[in-house]
Amino acid sequence: MDFLADFMSRLIAQFQSPSLAFLLGGMVLAASGSKLQIPDAIYKFCVFMLLMRIGLEGGMEIREANLGDMLLPGFLAVVIGCGIVFAGRFTLALLPGVRFEDGVATAGLFGAVSASTLAAALVMLEEQAVSYEAWVPALYPLMDIPALVLAIILANIYLAKQKDGKRSRVSIGAIVSDSLRGSALSALLLGLALGLFSRPEIVYEGFYDPLFRGLLSILLLTMGMEAWTRLSELRRVAHWYAFYATTAPLVHGLIAFGLGYLAHLLTGFSPGGVILLAVIASSNSDISGPPTLRAAIPSANPSAYIGASTSVGTPVAIAVGIPLYIALGEAVFGF
Amino acid sequence: MTSSATKIVIITEKLILGQVTGLIEAAGASGYTVVAAGGKGSRGVRSSGPAAVIDEFSNVKIEVITADRSKATRIADQVAERFFGNYSGIIYLEGVEVLRPQKF
Repeated sequence: MDFLADFMSRLIAQFQSPSLAFLLGGMVLAASGSKLQIPDAIYKFCVFMLLMRIGLEGGMEIREANLGDMLLPGFLAVVIGCGIVFAGRFTLALLPGVRFEDGVATAGLFGAVSASTLAAALVMLEEQAVSYEAWVPALYPLMDIPALVLAIILANIYLAKQKDGKRSRVSIGAIVSDSLRGSALSALLLGLALGLFSRPEIVYEGFYDPLFRGLLSILLLTMGMEAWTRLSELRRVAHWYAFYATTAPLVHGLIAFGLGYLAHLLTGFSPGGVILLAVIASSNSDISGPPTLRAAIPSANPSAYIGASTSVGTPVAIAVGIPLYIALGEAVFGF
Repeated sequence: MTSSATKIVIITEKLILGQVTGLIEAAGASGYTVVAAGGKGSRGVRSSGPAAVIDEFSNVKIEVITADRSKATRIADQVAERFFGNYSGIIYLEGVEVLRPQKF
């Protein structure tokens, strides 16, 4: 009982983080019909700054890191990404009122990763002074790309069967390069490379790092407004999407937490790393994933997967998921 | 001095802009104009201003002018057939008067 009370008080403390307050603030603004708008260019700049900062920091620290440690968590990231899509394919996609390709596309987005959720988790871990391996953010593409590719392949296999076996070929290379060229991953990978091969400490300390928290608050405000705006789309599709979008992020995160804990026991994966792995699994793509799916599975209904991901999945992953995993980490690892 | 020509107007998703303009060029049109578009249709409201977090899902309006009407109808038919099963969009043709007809 003590454990539970302790856990609950930690959870409540996590809810007071400014990151969550800005997200909820954005939703309240949009719900009240506020005329406040965050220009598109600013939103894109925020995404670039966050991912560049995360990449630079990772790159600078990877120089001294032992990359052999990354093998097991990296493998887990791929397995979790694909596992989420298979799980969605055998649950959500088979439910009544859910078209198969819509369900698989939704599962693909939930397997993929959200940059804003990852950034929010990094800030919250830093607030608590929880350390993690510098390469953990680099697990992002390892989970993101396999999930999107698998969802697109599953949907196309199914659609080909519907049209008497004539399969339209899925070009995996095109999907991978499309994902890598997305705005979020480009910035992250460039940051990693710059941190690794150049000496960006001065710009990092003088520019990217100090602005990180402020820009994250603007980004989360925008995500909150977008989430509320997109809710109307979710109302037009089956209720199962709302149910899936509320529960799936937490289930995925808890499974990833368990797998990460195994890696902690086996190879000494850090507690902060375990929490971040859970956050990455819990998050669902809200910027770069939807256009990739729309282009590769044109017959899937975007209202279904974007409504589920942006308007419910992302707020759940940030507002409930991150506090939950950090509180769980505190309880399990006792930092 | 003006001469008559046909203008094709395509309003569709920005996501497929590259494919549509590729098709227009392959059909032999000498050029086209693209502007951002917004409005309301059977697939909901699209903002013309900011606030769309996913830029690719905003709409564009593509205008193509051809001197010869049969080329215009061919382009319109091809675009409608190839894209409008799955993507949202409308197409219409207009008769226009152009200056410097050799440009088209």
